[in-house]
Order: sequence, then structure tokens, then C-alpha cells
Amino acid sequence: MKTSAFEMRNVRKAFRFFALDDVSLELEPGQIMGFVGPNGAGKSTTLRILMGLVHADGGEVRLLGHPIPRDQRVAKRDIGFVSSDMRLFQQATLSWHMRFVASIYSEWDAAYATLLVRRFNLQPEQTVKNLSTGEHAKAALLLALARRPRLLILDEPTAGLDPVARHEVLAELMEVLRDERRAILFSSHNTVDVERISDRITFIDRGRVVDSSNKEEFLERWRRLQLQLGAGIRLPQSPEIVDLSVDGQFTTLTTDRFTPELATQIQQAGATILEVQRMSLEEIFVANVMRHRKERAQ
Amino acid sequence: MSSLTITLVTRELYLNRWLIATAIFAGLLSVYLASTSQMGYRIGVLAWLTIIVTIGVILPMYGIHQERKDHSLLFALSLPLSGADYARAKMLGLLLCFFLPWFILSLAAVVLVLAMPGIPDGMLPFVVLLSGFLIANFSLVLCGALLMTSEALIISVVIVTNMCVSLFLFIVFSIPGINDYVQSAVPVWNEVVWTVLIVEVAVLSFALLLPLLVIPRRRTFI
Repeated sequence: MKTSAFEMRNVRKAFRFFALDDVSLELEPGQIMGFVGPNGAGKSTTLRILMGLVHADGGEVRLLGHPIPRDQRVAKRDIGFVSSDMRLFQQATLSWHMRFVASIYSEWDAAYATLLVRRFNLQPEQTVKNLSTGEHAKAALLLALARRPRLLILDEPTAGLDPVARHEVLAELMEVLRDERRAILFSSHNTVDVERISDRITFIDRGRVVDSSNKEEFLERWRRLQLQLGAGIRLPQSPEIVDLSVDGQFTTLTTDRFTPELATQIQQAGATILEVQRMSLEEIFVANVMRHRKERAQ
Repeated sequence: MSSLTITLVTRELYLNRWLIATAIFAGLLSVYLASTSQMGYRIGVLAWLTIIVTIGVILPMYGIHQERKDHSLLFALSLPLSGADYARAKMLGLLLCFFLPWFILSLAAVVLVLAMPGIPDGMLPFVVLLSGFLIANFSLVLCGALLMTSEALIISVVIVTNMCVSLFLFIVFSIPGINDYVQSAVPVWNEVVWTVLIVEVAVLSFALLLPLLVIPRRRTFI
């Protein structure tokens, strides 16, 4: 039986002003999961629970088959964790960090590390406190990648990076995924990055997972329809309709389960479909979050 | 001890190598100064004391509090260990970083007392008690930095322990069982000296054991 890269079942964690509520997630080896949420949604808390840095109040967490936090020492041998909040030791050089990490992980690939130093244009003898934001992010990623982990957990790794550095980082992550045994959990509020590299996407908002699916499925299911409704025409109530907004004589309908049958149903109600638009991941994310906020408010 | 703990302790020594070397060099210089003249003795003793107290504050403040503040703790905790493992390694590493200069400078002070004709050997128990107090004092700052996340609380611990240095000098030096024999030609290891020493060992043990008992029960490490 294939072991999941990670599994979270009904995980709960309460803080004074925030609670993670009933979070369940799973990722198979060889997949990239984009974990998307607004600021303060619970992305970092979820990842820190996975890493054993924060202990959940309830639920079950397994990392590469190991229960967390109990077996985190074993599980973390195969995990590369990088966070935009993370800083390397300020007084030490990158080459010291490389030797330090190499002394801990027997899988450290020195040749790959040297290649990444060149690719990321880093200076190994530079002290960490003198690295720019982009260089620091790439150095942290290098230290995580060169240990050849089975699972990479990345918490907003591209936050604060310029477009070129972002491109370099994302390209390297795509490269990692050529090895189909490896998996990546990638948190971000930048949907462009997530759409580019992920094959599974999970949306989280206010401590709850609001939706989780394959990227293609998301992009296929969600549509925005521009409609013209005649006077007195009302669309039927349907759970597929996520949002309806009226602008003069035009109506915009957002659906999370678009099918030809839904289009027929709308036309039969007397509406004219002017245009069916595909939605970007960002639009899907915003619509999804807004729907769940509305539902929770009711 | 696991190989990862050894690696982390070695890392602590590496990152603090200049601080340790500077403290040892400056401390030995102050001991030498203390041996030169009456005035040199006063300045040297004050410098010796200041150096040990200062390194005892810098190590926990930079090694623990600053690491938490600049988020390099997150990098350390991404390694294959638990938060409690890391705190143990941190404590051991910083203890060793302090122990090296403390031991060398304490030894130098003992040698100064025994070798200098102008300083009575009766000072020896007081020097030993002062050295014991300084490592106990350091262990309290270390304990505070490991257990407290609030900067204000840690600074409070530093202020209180620094005040304790002056209090120790005034109070312990004025205890009859100690003060009466300071000028004697031979060191007197009486009951009072042993009692103060036992109290110092008890404080040291308490300050080092408390984090080991409390930190594994924590549910949040960052």
C-alpha cells in the first residue's frame, strides 16, 4: 500500500483569537498541493502542525506514515521545510549552513547543492545577514532541496521575491517533481504561482478548509455566465449557483458545477446566455471564499 | 547523546567562538591587570566580574531570545528533532559556551589569589563562592530565556540577576563566617562556606532542571 505524503484528519487547534477547525487534508507522493488562503486563514498554523512545531488539540496527523508530533524526529528526516518567516543563522555563511545540513542528513547531495548555488547565483562565503531577501529565500530552498526530501513543505516560499527570483524558485520546484516519488505542499496567497505549479488545490479561510480538488477539476467546474434576463424572469434556486450579481440589464452568474444541463436550465427559465467565461484560479478562490463567508454568516 | 545534539552543541560553540575567545582574552588580561598594582587589582577585579556577568547575559539573549526574534529558530526546528530536543541541545550548548570562559577565568582568579603575595589565601573561599554564584546566576538567565517568550520578562530576569551580583558581594562578604577569614593566611572552609556553596549548587540544579521538565509539556514551540 502506498503511504501518503501526509494526512490530516479532523485537526483542531484553538488559540485566543483564532481556531483551526476540523481540517482534513491528504497528499499522495508525486503531487504538488497548492494551499491557498488569505492572510491569517490558518495556512502557516496548518503547516506548523504538520511539522510538529505546534501540537494540535485534536485530530490525527501523519507525515510520511509517521504519527505527528510523536514521531517527528523520524518523519522530519525526509522533509524539507521552508517558510518565508524562516531565517538562517545570521552570523554564519551559506557554505557553513551547507556543511551543517550535510552533517545531519545522510542523503545530502553535494553535487546538486553546488549546481543550485550556481543556478541561484549565490555566494557560499557570504554571511546570511548580508543576503538579500531573494538570496535568502533561495539559500533556504537550496538547503531544503539538496537533502533530497520525499516531501517539501513550503510556506509562502515566493513571498517578497522579485519576478525573476520567483521564476527561478518555481522552475526549481517543477524540476523536483520530475522525481515522481516526491511531493510538495506549497502554501501561498499568490494564486498565479499556485496555478502554475500545483496539481491539487486546497482553499482555506478563517481556519476551515473551504474546498479541495484537482486543479483541472476546479478550472473545469467553475464558470462565469453573462446573462440577459427579460423583465420578470427569475432564475431557479440551485445549489450550483454560487453568486448572482445584477448590473443594469445584465446579470453575472457564478457557478461551481457548470454543465450543459445547467445552461439549458437557465435558458429554459427565459434567460439569454451572452457569454460563458472560464475563471482564473484567483477568481475561483475569491468566489469560493466569499460564498463560504456568506454561508457561515447566515 | 545523539549525533544531532552533538552537532547542535558544536554549532553553538562555532557561532559563539569569537565571543568566547574575546571573553577569555579580556578576562585573562583583567586578571593580569589585577596582579600589577593596588589600583590595577581594583580595576582588574571589576573587569573580571563584568566580563563574566556580560557573557552570561549575551549568550542567552542572543542564543535563545534573538534566535526566536529573528526566526532562525524556525530553521532549527525544521531539523529532525522535537522542540524539546532542541531546547535541551540549546541549553547544553550555551552552558558549554559559558562554562569555558567561566572555568578558565575562575581558575585564573584562584591562581591569582594563591600566587600573589599581596592577596591573602583566605580570599580563596570567597573567590570560589563568587565563581559559583556567577554560574548559578547565568543558569537563572538561561532558564528564563528558555522558558519565557516575552522580551520584557527576559529583560526583567537579566536586571534582577544583575542586581543580585551586587547583593551577593555585599551580603555574602559581610557574613561573619566568611568575612572573618578573608584576611587569614590560609583558606578556611567552614560550615558557612559549604552552606553558601550548597545553596549555589541547588539554584544551579533547579535552573537547569526546570526547562527540562517544562519544555517537553509545551504544545507550541514557535
